[in-house]
Amino acid sequence: MNCAEFQRILPDIIDEGHTPEQEAHLRSCYICSNLISDLTAISREAQLLQASEEPSPRVWNSIEIALRREGLIRQPLRDSEVPPPSRRWNLAWLLPVAAALLVAFGVIAHQRGMSRQTAQQSPVTPISESSLAHPSVDDQVLLEALGTHSPTMRVAYETNLRNVNAYIHDAEDQANADPNDEEARQSLMNAYQEKAMVYEMALNRSLP
Amino acid sequence: MKRARRAACLAAGVVLITAILAAGETRKEFRFTVGPRATVSIINQYGPVSVKPGAGSQVVVTATLYSDKVEIDQGQSGSRVNVLSHLLPGATAETGRVDYEVAVPSDASVTLHSMTGPLRAEKLHGDVTLEGATANMDVRDISDAHVHVKTLNGPVTLTNIRDGHVEITSVTGDVMLVSVSGPWVQVNSSSGRISYDGDFGNGGEYLLTSHTGDIEASAPPDASIDVTARSVKGKVENDFLLEPKHTPFVIKAGSAFAGTLNKAASSVKLLSFSGKIHLKKR
Repeated sequence: MNCAEFQRILPDIIDEGHTPEQEAHLRSCYICSNLISDLTAISREAQLLQASEEPSPRVWNSIEIALRREGLIRQPLRDSEVPPPSRRWNLAWLLPVAAALLVAFGVIAHQRGMSRQTAQQSPVTPISESSLAHPSVDDQVLLEALGTHSPTMRVAYETNLRNVNAYIHDAEDQANADPNDEEARQSLMNAYQEKAMVYEMALNRSLP
Repeated sequence: MKRARRAACLAAGVVLITAILAAGETRKEFRFTVGPRATVSIINQYGPVSVKPGAGSQVVVTATLYSDKVEIDQGQSGSRVNVLSHLLPGATAETGRVDYEVAVPSDASVTLHSMTGPLRAEKLHGDVTLEGATANMDVRDISDAHVHVKTLNGPVTLTNIRDGHVEITSVTGDVMLVSVSGPWVQVNSSSGRISYDGDFGNGGEYLLTSHTGDIEASAPPDASIDVTARSVKGKVENDFLLEPKHTPFVIKAGSAFAGTLNKAASSVKLLSFSGKIHLKKR
Protein backbone atom coordinates (compact mmCIF):
# COMPACT_ATOMS: atom_id res chain seq x y z
CA MET A 1 0.00 0.00 0.00
CA ASN A 2 1.41 3.42 -0.90
CA CYS A 3 0.71 6.86 0.64
CA ALA A 4 -1.85 7.88 -2.00
CA GLU A 5 -3.88 4.71 -1.45
CA PHE A 6 -3.62 5.10 2.30
CA GLN A 7 -4.70 8.75 2.31
CA ARG A 8 -7.61 8.02 -0.04
CA ILE A 9 -9.23 5.83 2.61
CA LEU A 10 -8.09 7.89 5.58
CA PRO A 11 -11.60 8.83 6.84
CA ASP A 12 -12.57 5.14 6.98
CA ILE A 13 -9.35 4.28 8.78
CA ILE A 14 -10.00 6.89 11.45
CA ASP A 15 -13.62 5.83 11.90
CA GLU A 16 -13.15 2.07 11.74
CA GLY A 17 -9.56 1.35 12.78
CA HIS A 18 -6.63 -0.13 10.86
CA THR A 19 -6.30 -3.37 8.91
CA PRO A 20 -2.97 -5.26 9.16
CA GLU A 21 -1.97 -3.89 5.72
CA GLN A 22 -2.67 -0.33 6.79
CA GLU A 23 -0.87 -0.95 10.09
CA ALA A 24 2.19 -2.12 8.15
CA HIS A 25 2.13 1.01 6.02
CA LEU A 26 1.82 3.19 9.13
CA ARG A 27 4.89 1.53 10.64
CA SER A 28 6.95 2.16 7.52
CA CYS A 29 5.77 5.71 6.66
CA TYR A 30 6.29 8.54 9.12
CA ILE A 31 4.27 11.01 6.99
CA CYS A 32 1.08 8.95 7.16
CA SER A 33 1.82 8.03 10.76
CA ASN A 34 2.11 11.72 11.68
CA LEU A 35 -1.03 12.49 9.72
CA ILE A 36 -2.96 9.90 11.70
CA SER A 37 -1.54 11.30 14.98
CA ASP A 38 -2.57 14.83 13.95
CA LEU A 39 -6.07 13.77 12.99
CA THR A 40 -6.56 11.72 16.15
CA ALA A 41 -5.35 14.59 18.33
CA ILE A 42 -7.58 17.10 16.53
CA SER A 43 -10.56 14.77 16.74
CA ARG A 44 -9.95 14.25 20.48
CA GLU A 45 -9.57 17.99 21.15
CA ALA A 46 -12.65 18.74 19.05
CA GLN A 47 -14.69 16.44 21.28
CA LEU A 48 -13.43 18.32 24.33
CA LEU A 49 -14.46 21.58 22.70
CA GLN A 50 -17.92 20.23 21.99
CA ALA A 51 -18.36 19.30 25.63
CA SER A 52 -17.29 22.69 26.92
CA GLU A 53 -18.94 26.06 26.86
CA GLU A 54 -20.12 27.17 23.41
CA PRO A 55 -17.71 29.77 22.01
CA SER A 56 -19.02 33.12 20.87
CA PRO A 57 -20.11 33.65 17.22
CA ARG A 58 -16.86 35.60 16.71
CA VAL A 59 -14.87 32.37 17.11
CA TRP A 60 -16.90 30.64 14.39
CA ASN A 61 -16.54 33.71 12.19
CA SER A 62 -12.75 33.61 12.60
CA ILE A 63 -12.68 29.92 11.72
CA GLU A 64 -14.83 30.52 8.65
CA ILE A 65 -12.65 33.44 7.53
CA ALA A 66 -9.49 31.33 7.96
CA LEU A 67 -10.98 28.44 5.99
CA ARG A 68 -12.22 30.71 3.22
CA ARG A 69 -8.83 32.45 3.01
CA GLU A 70 -7.19 29.06 2.57
CA GLY A 71 -9.66 28.34 -0.23
CA LEU A 72 -11.06 25.32 1.60
CA ILE A 73 -14.63 26.61 1.52
CA ARG A 74 -16.38 28.89 -0.92
CA GLN A 75 -19.93 29.20 0.35
CA PRO A 76 -20.67 30.61 3.82
CA LEU A 77 -21.12 27.72 6.26
CA ARG A 78 -24.41 27.47 8.15
CA ASP A 79 -25.22 25.05 10.95
CA SER A 80 -27.54 23.08 8.72
CA GLU A 81 -25.30 23.14 5.67
CA VAL A 82 -22.19 21.32 6.78
CA PRO A 83 -20.51 19.97 3.64
CA PRO A 84 -19.72 16.25 3.47
CA PRO A 85 -16.16 15.38 4.46
CA SER A 86 -13.74 15.40 1.56
CA ARG A 87 -12.02 12.17 0.65
CA ARG A 88 -8.93 13.93 -0.66
CA TRP A 89 -6.61 14.61 2.23
CA ASN A 90 -3.77 17.02 2.28
CA LEU A 91 -1.59 18.37 5.13
CA ALA A 92 -2.31 21.97 4.11
CA TRP A 93 -5.73 21.98 5.77
CA LEU A 94 -4.10 21.37 9.15
CA LEU A 95 -2.87 24.97 9.24
CA PRO A 96 -6.23 26.78 9.47
CA VAL A 97 -7.66 24.03 11.64
CA ALA A 98 -4.78 24.22 14.12
CA ALA A 99 -4.96 28.03 14.16
CA ALA A 100 -8.73 27.91 14.67
CA LEU A 101 -8.36 25.38 17.48
CA LEU A 102 -5.81 27.57 19.17
CA VAL A 103 -8.08 30.59 19.00
CA ALA A 104 -11.04 28.56 20.26
CA PHE A 105 -8.98 27.11 23.12
CA GLY A 106 -7.81 30.56 24.11
CA VAL A 107 -11.30 32.00 24.19
CA ILE A 108 -12.82 29.03 26.02
CA ALA A 109 -10.00 28.77 28.54
CA HIS A 110 -10.28 32.47 29.25
CA GLN A 111 -14.09 32.39 29.53
CA ARG A 112 -13.93 29.39 31.85
CA GLY A 113 -11.38 31.09 34.05
CA MET A 114 -13.47 34.25 34.26
CA SER A 115 -16.73 32.49 35.02
CA ARG A 116 -15.18 30.29 37.68
CA GLN A 117 -13.55 33.29 39.30
CA THR A 118 -16.88 35.12 39.48
CA ALA A 119 -18.86 32.13 40.69
CA GLN A 120 -16.49 30.92 43.37
CA GLN A 121 -15.02 34.26 44.49
CA SER A 122 -11.97 32.19 45.31
CA PRO A 123 -8.41 33.53 45.25
CA VAL A 124 -7.23 30.22 43.72
CA THR A 125 -6.66 30.76 40.01
CA PRO A 126 -7.75 27.93 37.73
CA ILE A 127 -5.19 26.94 35.14
CA SER A 128 -6.43 25.25 32.02
CA GLU A 129 -4.48 22.38 30.52
CA SER A 130 -3.73 24.37 27.38
CA SER A 131 -1.94 27.06 29.32
CA LEU A 132 0.67 24.95 31.11
CA ALA A 133 4.24 25.89 30.32
CA HIS A 134 4.94 22.30 29.28
CA PRO A 135 4.04 21.13 25.79
CA SER A 136 0.38 20.15 25.39
CA VAL A 137 -0.83 17.18 23.33
CA ASP A 138 -1.04 19.42 20.25
CA ASP A 139 2.46 20.70 20.91
CA GLN A 140 3.79 17.14 21.25
CA VAL A 141 2.20 16.14 17.94
CA LEU A 142 3.74 19.17 16.25
CA LEU A 143 7.14 18.56 17.83
CA GLU A 144 7.11 14.91 16.78
CA ALA A 145 6.36 15.90 13.20
CA LEU A 146 9.17 18.47 13.27
CA GLY A 147 11.55 16.00 14.95
CA THR A 148 11.05 13.47 12.17
CA HIS A 149 12.02 16.14 9.68
CA SER A 150 14.87 17.73 11.64
CA PRO A 151 15.89 17.08 15.28
CA THR A 152 17.53 20.53 15.52
CA MET A 153 14.31 22.18 14.43
CA ARG A 154 12.39 20.22 17.03
CA VAL A 155 14.65 21.55 19.81
CA ALA A 156 14.28 25.13 18.56
CA TYR A 157 10.49 24.90 18.36
CA GLU A 158 10.29 23.17 21.75
CA THR A 159 12.09 26.11 23.35
CA ASN A 160 9.81 28.58 21.58
CA LEU A 161 6.68 26.69 22.60
CA ARG A 162 7.84 26.61 26.22
CA ASN A 163 8.29 30.37 26.07
CA VAL A 164 4.85 31.06 24.65
CA ASN A 165 3.15 28.53 26.93
CA ALA A 166 4.71 30.26 29.94
CA TYR A 167 3.51 33.57 28.51
CA ILE A 168 -0.05 32.20 28.15
CA HIS A 169 0.06 30.71 31.65
CA ASP A 170 1.08 33.98 33.31
CA ALA A 171 -1.26 36.08 31.14
CA GLU A 172 -4.17 33.79 32.09
CA ASP A 173 -3.31 34.11 35.78
CA GLN A 174 -3.27 37.87 35.41
CA ALA A 175 -6.56 37.99 33.50
CA ASN A 176 -8.25 35.60 35.94
CA ALA A 177 -7.12 37.71 38.89
CA ASP A 178 -9.09 40.66 37.52
CA PRO A 179 -11.45 39.81 34.66
CA ASN A 180 -12.15 43.52 34.10
CA ASP A 181 -8.50 44.36 33.56
CA GLU A 182 -8.24 45.45 29.93
CA GLU A 183 -4.44 45.33 29.83
CA ALA A 184 -4.42 41.80 31.22
CA ARG A 185 -6.82 40.71 28.48
CA GLN A 186 -4.58 42.40 25.92
CA SER A 187 -1.58 40.44 27.24
CA LEU A 188 -3.52 37.18 27.02
CA MET A 189 -4.51 37.92 23.45
CA ASN A 190 -0.89 38.74 22.60
CA ALA A 191 0.28 35.50 24.19
CA TYR A 192 -2.14 33.45 22.10
CA GLN A 193 -1.14 35.44 19.02
CA GLU A 194 2.46 34.33 19.63
CA LYS A 195 1.46 30.70 19.93
CA ALA A 196 -0.57 30.91 16.73
CA MET A 197 2.49 32.40 15.02
CA VAL A 198 4.73 29.54 16.17
CA TYR A 199 2.22 26.98 14.85
CA GLU A 200 1.79 28.87 11.59
CA MET A 201 5.54 29.02 11.03
CA ALA A 202 6.00 25.35 11.87
CA LEU A 203 3.16 24.10 9.68
CA ASN A 204 3.57 26.52 6.83
CA ARG A 205 7.34 26.85 6.57
CA SER A 206 9.20 24.23 8.54
CA LEU A 207 7.39 21.05 7.55
CA PRO A 208 7.85 19.59 4.08
CA MET B 1 63.08 36.89 -0.04
CA LYS B 2 61.49 34.15 2.07
CA ARG B 3 58.75 36.55 3.16
CA ALA B 4 57.99 37.52 -0.45
CA ARG B 5 57.73 33.88 -1.47
CA ARG B 6 55.39 33.14 1.45
CA ALA B 7 53.18 36.14 0.52
CA ALA B 8 53.04 34.94 -3.09
CA CYS B 9 52.00 31.44 -1.95
CA LEU B 10 49.32 32.89 0.30
CA ALA B 11 47.93 35.07 -2.51
CA ALA B 12 47.89 32.10 -4.86
CA GLY B 13 46.05 30.06 -2.23
CA VAL B 14 43.42 32.75 -1.75
CA VAL B 15 42.90 33.02 -5.51
CA LEU B 16 42.60 29.25 -5.80
CA ILE B 17 40.06 28.97 -2.93
CA THR B 18 38.02 31.87 -4.33
CA ALA B 19 38.03 30.23 -7.75
CA ILE B 20 36.88 26.89 -6.27
CA LEU B 21 34.11 28.58 -4.30
CA ALA B 22 33.05 30.70 -7.26
CA ALA B 23 32.94 27.61 -9.45
CA GLY B 24 30.17 26.19 -7.23
CA GLU B 25 28.09 29.34 -7.54
CA THR B 26 25.41 30.00 -10.11
CA ARG B 27 24.01 33.44 -10.65
CA LYS B 28 20.55 33.85 -12.15
CA GLU B 29 18.59 36.94 -13.01
CA PHE B 30 14.83 37.20 -13.50
CA ARG B 31 13.02 40.28 -14.79
CA PHE B 32 9.29 40.97 -14.52
CA THR B 33 7.38 43.99 -15.80
CA VAL B 34 4.63 44.94 -13.39
CA GLY B 35 1.95 47.59 -12.96
CA PRO B 36 1.52 50.02 -10.09
CA ARG B 37 1.34 48.61 -6.54
CA ALA B 38 2.74 45.25 -7.50
CA THR B 39 3.18 42.48 -4.93
CA VAL B 40 6.43 40.57 -4.75
CA SER B 41 6.94 37.46 -2.66
CA ILE B 42 10.35 35.86 -2.07
CA ILE B 43 10.30 32.61 -0.10
CA ASN B 44 13.80 31.41 0.70
CA GLN B 45 14.56 28.65 3.19
CA TYR B 46 18.22 29.46 3.72
CA GLY B 47 20.09 32.64 2.90
CA PRO B 48 19.70 36.39 2.74
CA VAL B 49 17.10 38.46 0.91
CA SER B 50 17.64 42.16 0.33
CA VAL B 51 15.07 44.42 -1.32
CA LYS B 52 15.69 47.94 -2.60
CA PRO B 53 13.76 50.27 -4.89
CA GLY B 54 14.66 50.00 -8.56
CA ALA B 55 14.00 52.05 -11.64
CA GLY B 56 10.76 51.99 -13.63
CA SER B 57 8.16 49.26 -13.44
CA GLN B 58 10.53 46.32 -13.36
CA VAL B 59 11.11 43.74 -10.67
CA VAL B 60 14.64 42.42 -10.98
CA VAL B 61 15.56 39.36 -8.92
CA THR B 62 19.19 38.31 -8.79
CA ALA B 63 19.72 34.93 -7.15
CA THR B 64 23.01 33.29 -6.29
CA LEU B 65 22.81 29.54 -5.81
CA TYR B 66 25.58 27.54 -4.15
CA SER B 67 24.74 24.03 -5.29
CA ASP B 68 22.47 21.98 -7.51
CA LYS B 69 20.42 20.93 -4.44
CA VAL B 70 18.21 23.96 -4.88
CA GLU B 71 16.40 25.49 -7.81
CA ILE B 72 14.39 28.66 -8.30
CA ASP B 73 10.68 28.46 -9.03
CA GLN B 74 9.35 31.77 -10.27
CA GLY B 75 6.15 33.05 -11.76
CA GLN B 76 4.10 36.11 -12.51
CA SER B 77 0.38 36.63 -12.52
CA GLY B 78 -0.47 40.20 -13.51
CA SER B 79 1.37 42.41 -11.05
CA ARG B 80 1.98 39.57 -8.61
CA VAL B 81 5.44 38.05 -8.67
CA ASN B 82 6.38 34.89 -6.76
CA VAL B 83 9.87 33.54 -6.34
CA LEU B 84 10.56 30.41 -4.31
CA SER B 85 13.73 28.52 -3.47
CA HIS B 86 12.79 24.93 -4.13
CA LEU B 87 14.93 22.58 -2.06
CA LEU B 88 15.71 19.25 -3.67
CA PRO B 89 16.18 16.00 -1.74
CA GLY B 90 19.31 16.03 0.39
CA ALA B 91 19.58 19.82 0.57
CA THR B 92 21.09 21.25 3.74
CA ALA B 93 21.36 24.77 5.11
CA GLU B 94 24.64 25.14 3.19
CA THR B 95 23.74 23.51 -0.10
CA GLY B 96 20.18 24.89 -0.08
CA ARG B 97 21.33 28.44 0.43
CA VAL B 98 20.31 31.11 -2.06
CA ASP B 99 21.26 34.79 -1.82
CA TYR B 100 18.66 37.15 -3.27
CA GLU B 101 19.05 40.76 -4.26
CA VAL B 102 15.79 42.24 -5.42
CA ALA B 103 14.94 45.59 -6.99
CA VAL B 104 11.25 46.54 -7.04
CA PRO B 105 9.22 49.65 -7.92
CA SER B 106 9.15 51.72 -4.73
CA ASP B 107 5.36 51.38 -4.39
CA ALA B 108 5.49 47.56 -4.49
CA SER B 109 4.43 45.48 -1.52
CA VAL B 110 6.95 42.83 -0.58
CA THR B 111 6.76 39.62 1.43
CA LEU B 112 10.06 38.06 2.39
CA HIS B 113 10.67 34.80 4.16
CA SER B 114 13.89 33.14 5.20
CA MET B 115 14.59 30.81 8.11
CA THR B 116 18.17 31.99 8.51
CA GLY B 117 18.19 35.34 6.73
CA PRO B 118 19.24 38.05 7.05
CA LEU B 119 16.24 39.90 5.61
CA ARG B 120 16.50 43.53 4.63
CA ALA B 121 14.08 46.01 3.03
CA GLU B 122 14.67 49.70 2.51
CA LYS B 123 13.37 52.90 0.92
CA LEU B 124 9.95 51.56 -0.05
CA HIS B 125 6.46 52.91 0.40
CA GLY B 126 4.56 49.70 -0.22
CA ASP B 127 3.73 47.22 2.52
CA VAL B 128 6.57 45.11 3.90
CA THR B 129 6.06 41.69 5.50
CA LEU B 130 9.04 39.78 6.87
CA GLU B 131 8.99 36.34 8.38
CA GLY B 132 11.84 34.24 9.71
CA ALA B 133 13.02 31.90 12.43
CA THR B 134 16.53 32.99 13.34
CA ALA B 135 16.95 35.61 10.62
CA ASN B 136 18.24 39.10 11.44
CA MET B 137 15.67 41.55 10.11
CA ASP B 138 16.42 45.09 9.13
CA VAL B 139 13.80 47.46 7.75
CA ARG B 140 14.62 51.10 7.13
CA ASP B 141 13.40 54.27 5.44
CA ILE B 142 9.83 53.16 4.84
CA SER B 143 6.88 55.56 4.71
CA ASP B 144 3.08 55.35 4.47
CA ALA B 145 3.07 51.57 4.65
CA HIS B 146 2.31 48.55 6.76
CA VAL B 147 5.35 46.84 8.21
CA HIS B 148 4.64 43.38 9.61
CA VAL B 149 7.39 41.27 11.10
CA LYS B 150 7.16 37.77 12.54
CA THR B 151 10.16 36.08 14.07
CA LEU B 152 10.94 33.29 16.48
CA ASN B 153 14.48 34.15 17.61
CA GLY B 154 15.93 36.63 15.15
CA PRO B 155 16.66 40.22 16.18
CA VAL B 156 14.55 42.91 14.50
CA THR B 157 15.65 46.48 13.77
CA LEU B 158 13.33 49.09 12.31
CA THR B 159 14.81 52.48 11.49
CA ASN B 160 13.15 55.61 10.18
CA ILE B 161 9.63 54.33 9.57
CA ARG B 162 7.19 57.20 9.01
CA ASP B 163 3.37 56.99 9.07
CA GLY B 164 3.69 53.25 9.42
CA HIS B 165 1.24 50.65 10.54
CA VAL B 166 3.77 48.50 12.36
CA GLU B 167 3.16 45.07 13.88
CA ILE B 168 6.01 42.96 15.22
CA THR B 169 5.64 39.56 16.86
CA SER B 170 8.74 37.92 18.29
CA VAL B 171 9.21 35.01 20.67
CA THR B 172 12.77 35.52 21.89
CA GLY B 173 14.26 37.93 19.37
CA ASP B 174 15.17 41.45 20.52
CA VAL B 175 13.28 44.27 18.84
CA MET B 176 14.78 47.72 18.31
CA LEU B 177 12.78 50.63 16.92
CA VAL B 178 14.58 53.85 16.02
CA SER B 179 12.59 56.86 14.76
CA VAL B 180 9.48 54.80 14.18
CA SER B 181 6.13 56.55 14.19
CA GLY B 182 2.68 56.09 12.77
CA PRO B 183 -0.97 55.61 13.58
CA TRP B 184 -0.34 52.08 14.92
CA VAL B 185 2.86 50.62 16.32
CA GLN B 186 2.62 47.29 18.13
CA VAL B 187 5.44 45.09 19.37
CA ASN B 188 4.68 41.80 21.09
CA SER B 189 7.55 39.75 22.43
CA SER B 190 7.77 36.85 24.82
CA SER B 191 11.32 37.10 26.17
CA GLY B 192 13.00 39.42 23.69
CA ARG B 193 14.06 42.90 24.77
CA ILE B 194 12.09 45.78 23.25
CA SER B 195 13.67 49.19 22.80
CA TYR B 196 12.08 52.27 21.30
CA ASP B 197 13.95 55.48 20.52
CA GLY B 198 11.80 58.16 18.94
CA ASP B 199 9.23 60.87 19.57
CA PHE B 200 6.05 58.72 19.41
CA GLY B 201 4.76 60.86 16.54
CA ASN B 202 1.60 62.84 16.67
CA GLY B 203 -1.62 60.95 17.30
CA GLY B 204 -0.67 57.27 17.13
CA GLU B 205 -1.25 54.19 19.27
CA TYR B 206 1.91 52.55 20.59
CA LEU B 207 1.64 49.21 22.33
CA LEU B 208 4.83 47.48 23.47
CA THR B 209 4.21 44.26 25.41
CA SER B 210 6.43 41.48 26.68
CA HIS B 211 6.32 38.49 28.95
CA THR B 212 9.79 38.47 30.51
CA GLY B 213 11.68 40.80 28.15
CA ASP B 214 12.67 44.29 29.31
CA ILE B 215 11.11 47.32 27.65
CA GLU B 216 13.03 50.57 27.28
CA ALA B 217 11.54 53.63 25.60
CA SER B 218 13.46 56.87 25.07
CA ALA B 219 11.66 60.05 24.10
CA PRO B 220 12.51 63.77 23.94
CA PRO B 221 11.10 66.18 26.57
CA ASP B 222 8.67 67.62 24.00
CA ALA B 223 7.07 64.23 23.23
CA SER B 224 3.29 64.43 23.32
CA ILE B 225 2.11 61.25 25.01
CA ASP B 226 -0.50 59.69 27.22
CA VAL B 227 1.45 56.84 28.79
CA THR B 228 0.59 53.79 30.84
CA ALA B 229 3.36 51.46 32.00
CA ARG B 230 2.87 48.39 34.07
CA SER B 231 4.90 45.30 34.96
CA VAL B 232 3.18 42.66 37.10
CA LYS B 233 6.41 41.33 38.61
CA GLY B 234 9.10 43.61 37.22
CA LYS B 235 10.33 47.10 38.09
CA VAL B 236 9.07 50.22 36.37
CA GLU B 237 11.03 53.47 36.06
CA ASN B 238 10.11 56.84 34.63
CA ASP B 239 12.37 59.87 34.00
CA PHE B 240 9.53 62.26 33.06
CA LEU B 241 7.36 64.43 35.26
CA LEU B 242 3.94 63.30 34.08
CA GLU B 243 0.54 64.88 34.70
CA PRO B 244 -1.32 62.24 36.73
CA LYS B 245 -4.34 60.58 35.13
CA HIS B 246 -7.04 58.21 36.19
CA THR B 247 -6.41 54.53 35.57
CA PRO B 248 -8.78 51.56 35.83
CA PHE B 249 -6.18 49.70 37.91
CA VAL B 250 -4.44 50.54 41.20
CA ILE B 251 -1.05 52.17 40.66
CA LYS B 252 1.59 50.46 42.79
CA ALA B 253 4.74 52.56 43.10
CA GLY B 254 7.64 50.87 41.32
CA SER B 255 5.47 48.50 39.31
CA ALA B 256 3.25 50.91 37.34
CA PHE B 257 2.85 54.52 36.35
CA ALA B 258 0.47 56.49 34.19
CA GLY B 259 0.16 60.09 33.11
CA THR B 260 0.31 62.57 30.29
CA LEU B 261 3.07 64.72 28.84
CA ASN B 262 2.44 67.89 26.82
CA LYS B 263 -0.73 67.56 24.71
CA ALA B 264 -0.92 63.76 25.03
CA ALA B 265 -1.39 63.32 21.29
CA SER B 266 -0.21 59.70 21.17
CA SER B 267 -1.24 56.82 23.39
CA VAL B 268 1.68 54.75 24.70
CA LYS B 269 1.23 51.49 26.58
CA LEU B 270 4.24 49.63 27.95
CA LEU B 271 3.16 46.32 29.46
CA SER B 272 5.18 43.42 30.78
CA PHE B 273 4.68 40.46 33.06
CA SER B 274 8.11 40.27 34.66
CA GLY B 275 10.32 42.43 32.44
CA LYS B 276 11.74 45.78 33.59
CA ILE B 277 10.20 48.88 32.02
CA HIS B 278 12.06 52.17 31.72
CA LEU B 279 10.71 55.34 30.11
CA LYS B 280 13.85 57.42 29.54
CA LYS B 281 14.22 61.10 28.81
CA ARG B 282 16.50 61.73 25.83
